[in-house]
Amino acid sequence: MRKTSIQRRLIVVVVVSQLLLAVGLVWVAVYFTRRQLRNAFDTQLRGRAMSIAALVRYSEDPHPKLIFEDDLVPPPLETQHPDLYEVLAGDGHVIARSPDWPATAPQFTSRYGLRTEFEFDGARYRAIRLERVPVLDREPELPNDDVLTVTYAAPTDQMTRAVARAGVYIALGSALLLLVTVTLAVWGLRRGLRPLAELAGSAALISTTNWELNPSEAALSTSELAPLTQAMTAMLDGLHRAFTQQREFLANAAHELKTPVAILKSTLQSLLQRPRAAEEYRAGLEQALEDMARLEKLLHSMLRLARAEQWAAGSTRRDLQTIDAAATCQAAIERLAPLAQERGVTVEFSSNGALPIRADGEDLELVWANLLENAIRFSPADDRVQLRVHSKGARGYAEVEDNGPGIPKAELSRIFERFHRADSSRARDTGSYGLGLAISKALIEAYGGTITPESRSGRGTRMVVELPLAEANS
Amino acid sequence: MRVLIIEDERRLAENVAGSLRESAGYAVDVAFDGEEGLYMAESNPYDLVLLDLMLPKLDGLGVMQRIRASGSPVPVLVLTARDEKESVVALLNAGADDYVAKPFDLGELLARAKALIRRGKGQSAAVLKVGDLEISTADLTVRRKGRIVSLTAMEYRVLEYLAHRPGAVVPKTELLEHLYDFNWERFSNVIEVYISGLRRKLDDTGDTKLIHTLRGQGYMLRG
Repeated sequence: MRKTSIQRRLIVVVVVSQLLLAVGLVWVAVYFTRRQLRNAFDTQLRGRAMSIAALVRYSEDPHPKLIFEDDLVPPPLETQHPDLYEVLAGDGHVIARSPDWPATAPQFTSRYGLRTEFEFDGARYRAIRLERVPVLDREPELPNDDVLTVTYAAPTDQMTRAVARAGVYIALGSALLLLVTVTLAVWGLRRGLRPLAELAGSAALISTTNWELNPSEAALSTSELAPLTQAMTAMLDGLHRAFTQQREFLANAAHELKTPVAILKSTLQSLLQRPRAAEEYRAGLEQALEDMARLEKLLHSMLRLARAEQWAAGSTRRDLQTIDAAATCQAAIERLAPLAQERGVTVEFSSNGALPIRADGEDLELVWANLLENAIRFSPADDRVQLRVHSKGARGYAEVEDNGPGIPKAELSRIFERFHRADSSRARDTGSYGLGLAISKALIEAYGGTITPESRSGRGTRMVVELPLAEANS
Repeated sequence: MRVLIIEDERRLAENVAGSLRESAGYAVDVAFDGEEGLYMAESNPYDLVLLDLMLPKLDGLGVMQRIRASGSPVPVLVLTARDEKESVVALLNAGADDYVAKPFDLGELLARAKALIRRGKGQSAAVLKVGDLEISTADLTVRRKGRIVSLTAMEYRVLEYLAHRPGAVVPKTELLEHLYDFNWERFSNVIEVYISGLRRKLDDTGDTKLIHTLRGQGYMLRG
C-alpha cells in the first residue's frame, strides 16, 4: 500500500492555497495599477489636448480665421516617438496637425467613448479626442460660436513598462511571502506533529518486559492525541493482563507438570534398575499407567481451565441452548455417588423447580461435581452434604453446603487460585491438583454468574453459585 | 546408611525410597509432610535427608532452617520443582548441601546421595579403600586383593558403614540405628551375625585381619 504523509499533504494544501492567493493578488494589483496609470495617462492626454486647443486663436485679419501657433507646441511625452495631435474646426476642416499625423486617422468608436489605441511607428499609442472645445482666444467683437475637436495621441510604452514593473515587484513580493509562509507552515507542521512522533517513540519502547506507555508531556497535552494515548494505554493494559495471565498459567503448568512427570520417570527408572521377574515388570508398568493417568487428568484439567477462561474473557463465542440446571445437578450427584459411598457421606438434593439456564450441560455438571467433590472430601464420615437449587427473579442460585472443618478466613480468598491446595497432604493422596475450583469459577463467570464461598472455621463451608436465568422465550 | 525422605507426593517418595533400598542398600524412612519430617529428622540419626520444597504444614525451607538450627550436620539434598536461581541460592544459604530439579534422573539422584553421604563422613572417593580391601559404592561390589568377595545385602551394608569411617570404633547401637529403617524391629544380635559372616568371608582367608571387635564398645574396620 502506498503510504500517505499527513505532513506532506498539509504542506501541499498550504502551498497551493498560498500560490492561488499570490496569483490572485498579482492579478488584482496589476489590474488596478494599470487602470490607475491609464487614468493618469488619460488625464495627461487631456491636459495636452487642452493646451493644444489653447494654441488656436483668431488671425488678426479683417476676417479673422482660426490659426494655430505651432511654435508653442509642448515637447513630446517621449523622446523616441513623437506625440500626435490634430485640431479640427467645428466645420471639420483641419486647423492643425502634428507633422507625422498618420495617414489613417485613429478611429474613435462609440464603444470606447472618445479614447482609442492604435499602432503607429512601431509603438502603441493611446489617443483621446475632445469635442466641442471652445476657442480660448476670445475677443468681445469676435464671433464666439466656434468650437474645436482636438485629438491628442501619445505612445504608451512608458506606461506599459510601469505596469509591468509594478507587476514584477508585486510578483516578487508575493513569491517572497509564499516562501516565508511555506517555510513557516512546514516548520509549524513539523513542530505540531512532533508529539505524534514522540508517541510513536514511546510506543516503540513497549515490550514484553516493559508494558508502561510513557507518553511525552507534549503528547499528553495535545488534545488530538489524547484519545489515541488513552486507547493505547487501555489496549496495553488489556494485553498486559492477558499476557501475564498466559505466562503465569504456563509457568504454573510447567511447574505442576514436573511432579507427575518426576513420578512417572522414577517409576520407570526404578523398574529398570535391575533385571526383574515378569510379574514385577507387569506391576511396574501398571503403576506407570496409573501415573500416566494422573498426568493425563492434570493436562485435561489445565486445558479445560484455559478454555473456560477464554470463554470468560469473551474471546470465543459458543452457541448455547437453554438447559435445566437442576437436571445437571442430578447428573453430578450420580457421578460422585461412588466417592460419597466410599466416604459414607449422603448427598441431599432439593430444588423448587426447573432452573432454565443458557449453558453447556457438561460445564454445569462439572461445576457441581467439583463443588460436591470438595464438600464430600472435607465432610466428616457419615455426615451429609446438601445441594440446594432455587430461583429468585431473573437469577438462579445453587448452594453446596458441608459440615466440614471450614476454610480459614485467610485462605478464603485464595481457594480459587490455580493449583491452590488446602494445606493437607490428603489432597495429594487423591490426585487433586487444585484446579477444580479455578475451573468452576472460570466456567461460572463465562456464563455471567458469580461464585462466593461462605465459611467459618469449624462451621462448615457453603459455596453459593449465582447464575442469570434464561429468558422464557429464548 | 539410613536416609530420610520428606516428600508429600507419595508415589514419588515410594519410588525414590524403593530405588535407594534396592540399588544402594540404604535403610529409608519416608515422611509426607514438613512437621512429621522435621520430627523424624530430629529423633533419628540419618546419614542423609532428601527434602522436597513444597510441603504441607511446614515447607522445605522451614524444615531446612530448623534442622540446621538444631545443630545437625546431616547432609541435605533438596528435591525441587523450582530450579530458579533465587530459590536455589536461598536453599543453599539455608544450609542445604545440594539439589536436584524435578523431574530428576534416579541414577543422578543416587549418585548425588552417595556423594553427599561420603562427604558427610569425610570421604571423597567413590571406592572406599581399607588396607587391601576395596568397596565400590557405585556398583556395591567388594574386592580384597583384587578378588571379588560375595556378600549378602546386610553384610554389605554393615561393611560399607564401617568402611566410611576406617579406624573409628562404631557401637553396635549406632550400626542398628543406621542400617535399619523405622519399620524394623531391632535385635542387637543380628549385627553379630553379620559381623561373623563378614569375618568369615574377608578375614578367614589368612590375610591381615580387618574387622576388629572391641568388647563392650563396638566394631572397627582397620587395614
